[in-house]
Amino acid sequence: MKKFLSVLLLVTMTASLLAACGSSNSDSNTAGSTDQGGSSKKKVVAWAWDPSFNGAALKIAEELYQKEHPDFELEVVDMAKADLEQKLNANLAAGVKDGLPDIILVNDPNIQKYVTAYPNTFADFTDKIDFTQFSPYKVDALRIGDKIYGVPFDIGVTGMFYRSDYLEQAGYTAKDLENITWDQYIEIGKVVKEKTGKYMTTINPNDEALTSILLQSAGSWYITPENKGNFVNNPVMAETLRVYKAISDSGIAKPVTGWSEFVGSFNAGDVATVVSGVWQVPSIMDAKDQSGKWRVAPIPRLNIKGGVNASNEGGSSWFVLNGSKNKDLAIDFLAKTIGGSSEFYERFLKEKGGVGSYIPAFSSDAYGQQSEFFGGQAIYRDFTKWSTEVPGISLGMYTQEAKDALKNELPNILQGADLTQSLANIQKLFEQQVQ
Amino acid sequence: MKKLTTMVVHLFLIVASVISLFPFVWMLMGMTNSSSEILKGKFSFGSMLMENIHKLLDMTSLGAAFWNSAIIAIIGTVGTLLLSSMAGYGFEIYHSKSKSRLFGLLMLSMMMPFAAVMIPLFRMFSGMGLLNTPTAVILPTITTAFMIFFFLQNTKSFPRELLQAGRVDGLSEWRLFTRIYMPTMKPTYAAAAIITFMNYWNSFLWPLIALQTQDKKTLPLVVSSLASSYNPDYGIIMVAIVITTLPSVLIFFLLQKQFVQGMLGSVK
Repeated sequence: MKKFLSVLLLVTMTASLLAACGSSNSDSNTAGSTDQGGSSKKKVVAWAWDPSFNGAALKIAEELYQKEHPDFELEVVDMAKADLEQKLNANLAAGVKDGLPDIILVNDPNIQKYVTAYPNTFADFTDKIDFTQFSPYKVDALRIGDKIYGVPFDIGVTGMFYRSDYLEQAGYTAKDLENITWDQYIEIGKVVKEKTGKYMTTINPNDEALTSILLQSAGSWYITPENKGNFVNNPVMAETLRVYKAISDSGIAKPVTGWSEFVGSFNAGDVATVVSGVWQVPSIMDAKDQSGKWRVAPIPRLNIKGGVNASNEGGSSWFVLNGSKNKDLAIDFLAKTIGGSSEFYERFLKEKGGVGSYIPAFSSDAYGQQSEFFGGQAIYRDFTKWSTEVPGISLGMYTQEAKDALKNELPNILQGADLTQSLANIQKLFEQQVQ
Repeated sequence: MKKLTTMVVHLFLIVASVISLFPFVWMLMGMTNSSSEILKGKFSFGSMLMENIHKLLDMTSLGAAFWNSAIIAIIGTVGTLLLSSMAGYGFEIYHSKSKSRLFGLLMLSMMMPFAAVMIPLFRMFSGMGLLNTPTAVILPTITTAFMIFFFLQNTKSFPRELLQAGRVDGLSEWRLFTRIYMPTMKPTYAAAAIITFMNYWNSFLWPLIALQTQDKKTLPLVVSSLASSYNPDYGIIMVAIVITTLPSVLIFFLLQKQFVQGMLGSVK
C-alpha cells in the first residue's frame, strides 16, 4: 500500500506542477503581450530573426520613440528566419490569433505571397509614410495592387568587394574595375589567376544569389509581375545564364558547396573578389589581418539593353498585423522611426552596420564615414549612391519555386546543354510546380 | 587467415569510430575558436573558450532555456514511462481480441506525419488556453504508439509465473504491476527513458509552434535562433551546442548498461 501511495503522490505532484506551470503562464501571457489597458506601459511585441541586426535596429527605434512616448515599451522575440515563417504560417493557417505579435519582419521575396495568401491580415501603410523618401526599387517590392504594405527596412544593394593587393599584383588599378561588363570581369579574372594563383570568385551551383543579382541588374526577375515563369523569350535570362556558364567554364571561380565555405574562402584570402550585398561587410571585416587590403567597386553589368552596374541581394521589411490589439500604436511607432527618421538610419549604420533605403539619411555624416578596413574608402556613400540606380522589379509570389526550378536544370546548363531547350524545361517545371 | 580477418574488422571499426567521433571533436575544438577561425577550417584548440561562453551568456538567457528544457524533458519522460508501460502491460497481460484490434488502430497513428496533425493540435491547445506552457509541449507525445509497442514487445518475454505467484500471495493487480513488473523490467525502463528523454530534449517543431514568448523557449529553439543571423558566430553556436548535447550524453552514459540490456530484451 505504501508503494501505491507514493506513486499516487508522485502523480498528483506531477499533475499539480503541470497545472501550476500552465496557469501561471497563461496569466503572464495575457498580461504581457495582449493586454493593453491594465498597466500604464504600452507594450508592442515584434518578431525578428537576428538579435545583433534587425532585433538591434528595433531597439534603436524604441529608444528614439521613447523620447516622445515615455510609456512605450517594445519586446523583441528572436528566432531563426525559417522558424519565424513556420510559426507565422501555423498561426495564420489555424486562424489562431493569440501568440501572434504586433510587428513581424518579412523577407522581401515573401511579401506578395503573404499578402495574397492571407488577405486583410497585414496593415496598409500607403498613406502612413512618405514613400517618396525611399529608394524606389525597395518600395516597388512592397507594392501590391495600389496599396503599399509595410515599412521598408534593410537593403542588400550589391557591390564588388575586391582585394586591392591581388589586383595590383595582376596589374590592375581601381579605375580598371569601374563600369565594366561581366565579360571584362572574366578576362581580368584570368589574368589574376595566372599572375597571383588566386581565384577571382567563388561559384556554388546550389545557390541562386549570383543569378538573382544578374537578373535584377538588368531589371528582370525569375517570374513576371503576373506570376508567370520568366525563363523563355527573356533576353536578360538568356544572357544571365550565358555569363554564369562563362564564369564557371573560365576556371576563375573556386567551387564552394555552402555558405560557410563561401565566407571561409574570402576570410582565408583564397579569392580576389566577392560580389555580394552590403550586409556582407561585417563578414569581410571578420578577417582582421586583411585590414586595408579590401576595396569596393560597382558590380559588373550585363552587356545588354537596360543593364546597369547596380543590383540588390536580399532585404527585409516590417509588417504590422491587422488583428493586433496595438495596431495603431505599432503603425505609429514604425512610421515615426524606421519609416521616417534620419537619426534612426544614422545610428543603425554606425552601431550595427545596417544600410536602409531612406534617402534623406544618405547625406548624413554617418554615411560619409571612411573605413580604414577598406583603405579609407567611404564605402557607404558609394553603396547608397548605387542603391538609387538599382532597377525596380516585382518579386512576385513564387520566387522560391522559380529558383528551385532553375537550380534543378543548372547542372545541365553548366555541362553545355542547349540553353533554349534548358530554359523551356525550367519554364515547364516551374509551371508544374505552381499549378 | 583468422588474424587477417580480425585485422580487417578492427580497421573497419577504427575508421567507423573516427568518422562518428569526428563531429564531437570538431564541436569541442570549435568551442575554443573564433568564428572566422572555424570558417577557415582550423583544426586545433584555440584560446577563445571563455570569450565565447561570456558572449553566449550575454546574448541569450541560456539558464532559463536550460530550465525550460529540463522541466519538459524530465516531467515528460516520467509521465511517458508510467503511462506507456501501463498501456503496454495492459495490452499484453490482459490480452483479448478486441484489445489487439484497438492496438492495431493505435499502430496506425505511427504512420501519421506530425506536420499533418500540427495545425489541428495547435487549434486544440489554443482552445484549451494551454499554448505557451510546458504542458502543451509534454501532452501530445506523453503516450506514443512507439513507446507502447516497445513496452508491449518487452512484456512478451516477461515471465507470467511471477504474476501468478504474486496473485497466490494476494497482491492486488495494481501492486503486481508496481511491485513485480516494474522492478523486473528495469532495463526496459532505462532504454525507454533514454529514448524518451532524447525525444523531449531535442524536440523542435512542436515547441517552436506551441511556445510563444522568449522566456519559455527551450534549448534547441535558442540554438536555432543563433544559427540564422546574417553573420553567425560559429564559436558561440558551438558552445551552445555542447551545452545542449551534454545532458543527453550524460544520461546515456549513466544508463548505458541497462540500455544495451533493454534493447536485447529485459528478461533472459
